[in-house]
Amino acid sequence: MSDSNPNLIRGGQLTVNEVQCFDMNNEQALLVPPDDAIWMVTFDTWLAHQLLLEGRQFPVAVLIPSDADFDDATSTHVHALCQADIALIAIDFPSYTDGRGYSLAQLLRNIYQWSGELRAVGDVMIDTVYYLARCGFDSFLIKPGHDAQLALDALHTFSDTYQKSYRQPIKSNRP
Amino acid sequence: MYIYDEIDQKLVEQRVAQFRGQTQRFLNGQLSEDEFRVLRLQNGLYIQRHAPMLRVAIPYGMLTSNQLRTLAYVARRWDKGYAHLTTRQNIQFNWPRLEDAPDILAKLATVQMHAIQTSGNCIRNTTTDHFAGVAYDEIINPLVWCEIIRQWSMLHPEFAFLPRKFKIAVSGSVTDRAAIGVHDIGLQAVEHNGEFGFRVFVGGGLGRTPLVGKLINPFVAWYDLLTYLQATLRVYNLHGRRDNKYKARIKILVKDLTPEVFAQQVNEQWARIKGGADTVTAEFVSAIADKFTWPSYGVLHENGSAAIAPHLEASPAFARWFRTNIHQHKITGYSSVTVSLKATGSPPGDITADQMDVLAEMADNYGFGELRVSHEQNIILPDVKTKSLYALWQELSVLNLATPNIGLITNIIACPGGDYCSLANAVSIPVAEAIQQKFDDLDYVHEIGELDLNLSGCMNSCGHHHVGHIGILGVDKAGEEWYQITLGGRQSGALKAGVKSNTDSNASAAIGRVIGPSFAREQVPDVIARLIQTYLSIRESDVERFIDVVDRVGIEPFKKDVYMDPLLAKTSNLVRESNV
Repeated sequence: MSDSNPNLIRGGQLTVNEVQCFDMNNEQALLVPPDDAIWMVTFDTWLAHQLLLEGRQFPVAVLIPSDADFDDATSTHVHALCQADIALIAIDFPSYTDGRGYSLAQLLRNIYQWSGELRAVGDVMIDTVYYLARCGFDSFLIKPGHDAQLALDALHTFSDTYQKSYRQPIKSNRP
Repeated sequence: MYIYDEIDQKLVEQRVAQFRGQTQRFLNGQLSEDEFRVLRLQNGLYIQRHAPMLRVAIPYGMLTSNQLRTLAYVARRWDKGYAHLTTRQNIQFNWPRLEDAPDILAKLATVQMHAIQTSGNCIRNTTTDHFAGVAYDEIINPLVWCEIIRQWSMLHPEFAFLPRKFKIAVSGSVTDRAAIGVHDIGLQAVEHNGEFGFRVFVGGGLGRTPLVGKLINPFVAWYDLLTYLQATLRVYNLHGRRDNKYKARIKILVKDLTPEVFAQQVNEQWARIKGGADTVTAEFVSAIADKFTWPSYGVLHENGSAAIAPHLEASPAFARWFRTNIHQHKITGYSSVTVSLKATGSPPGDITADQMDVLAEMADNYGFGELRVSHEQNIILPDVKTKSLYALWQELSVLNLATPNIGLITNIIACPGGDYCSLANAVSIPVAEAIQQKFDDLDYVHEIGELDLNLSGCMNSCGHHHVGHIGILGVDKAGEEWYQITLGGRQSGALKAGVKSNTDSNASAAIGRVIGPSFAREQVPDVIARLIQTYLSIRESDVERFIDVVDRVGIEPFKKDVYMDPLLAKTSNLVRESNV
């Protein structure tokens, strides 16, 4: 996922994505990634190796799949995640038409009180960042082929909103 | 009529700008066909058989004369001089060019109109009773609540990419004229301990798997409405099926979970947000109500019946129209008029630019410049002085807009069908016309009495055939068009005496039952005629309607008569083996 193009919107600006994806089936047979950079692990990996992943110099990022179920059975795990020392939570959009991630983001922000970085990854495009931002995402890894600058501009698509319980996008310094 | 404030206007204009950018990127090759498809659908733009089709929203079916004139302008400038009214109270243009769509939308924005969420897997245009605000039997005025839902659902950030489309209907009256039982969410206004709120039905819908909505909450107080809707949509967004588009509607989720479990999941989500920021306040309701311009009726000293009595006596044609096309108004001295767009020979629901202009004129001259679109695809003039009805009728008659068939067999609900739609298996418009021609004797049509005949060109059921008293569905058999007949469907209402609607766990809609093998296109009018003969021969009196007879005796006598008929039997034998 690491890329030299600035295709990440974060803190209202374009930047280069610094997070690398940890492959469970890596050649060294590592259970968890080395503590040498920010690595992204899946929610399942994090759950399985929580203790190993504590106290790192480079806390991990945790990826939540779009079909995650935050029901009563898993809510303790989600609570634990939101209180852990992690770099960020990412939610995957396997296709931009899969809208589950919007509701998962709302639950993380409003029910589980996650106040750290929440990143949209996968099929994330110019045309979806505005709604994503309103649902609580504050960083966006723009898919290849989509102009990240236009996506940044798209955070200004609408100047007003009707729904009271959803936030306004965090805006860049641009006018 | 709700009048936009600055924010409403800005949002619509910003949506036009956004769509213009998307269209440009698509035309420049920066947005793939696949990426653009869903984005354009969210703005009502389909790619159809002949050209793109643009569906324009008419929120809860309400229009001003000025808006109708602008639609006429659009029809002339960018289309072929006509448009089609839909069963979601919207209007669609069948011949625009993709390149022109942004300009059309910009033009519409100047009169507070848009195409936002008229298609796609999002919350669609909320519909209601076409007599909302003027009906004599209203518990609440649903227009204000439709506007509250309109704002809440428009550009909703969480529910733009649902598993499938989502339709909400609101009924504010004792009699449900909004077909709430066949919507993803149907809201029925009720009063409970001096407080008003809504009964919430979920999981109704037509299409491939027709189902009547289930009551999941007998009373949601008005102030909790939006948080309850949010919780319901959230359960659906998270758990509705996304692996199979034919099983993706909320009705399948409700059925799979059972209504009880679904209701419980909604309650769990609701508990987390109930009382939160989206709780409706009294101030908000009155702020919305204040943005409507309400007709200033004044006080009429006469109810107007004396003025029209001699005409009713003298003109049987006027009397007939009065009987079927006039509806009681909440204000003494006023009536609501349905302008039938179902004259024989014109495609059901089609309206020409000239007709739009004329009706806009009439809305100004006879009313307060307001009109409604009914889900039965007709136009309503909601506020006409009863004493002026004869003059209005004369004007409408000249224009062939006074067909006295509202509620009758020739007021056919039909989709555009295979002539226009790329999804259709069979044509609709020529079949509707053939049936209308078969029933061209007005006395006979009136003798048959109340009867809903609905016709769809495919399983997607845009013509609501499942809820027609008689339903007709176009099916494809080895490349040929065939038509399947259902009986006993019902969109709403018709609760039998003694049935307390408050405790009823089903909405009062019903899905029609298939009578047997399909028929060839040219046989359909004869089949319908045969069904009517059966009805007339077994009804107990002329107050027992077609649907009442089907309820009383079932479909067997009808089935027997149709399939025993030697004229009709021949074709049905041919297709028996390939049909269910």
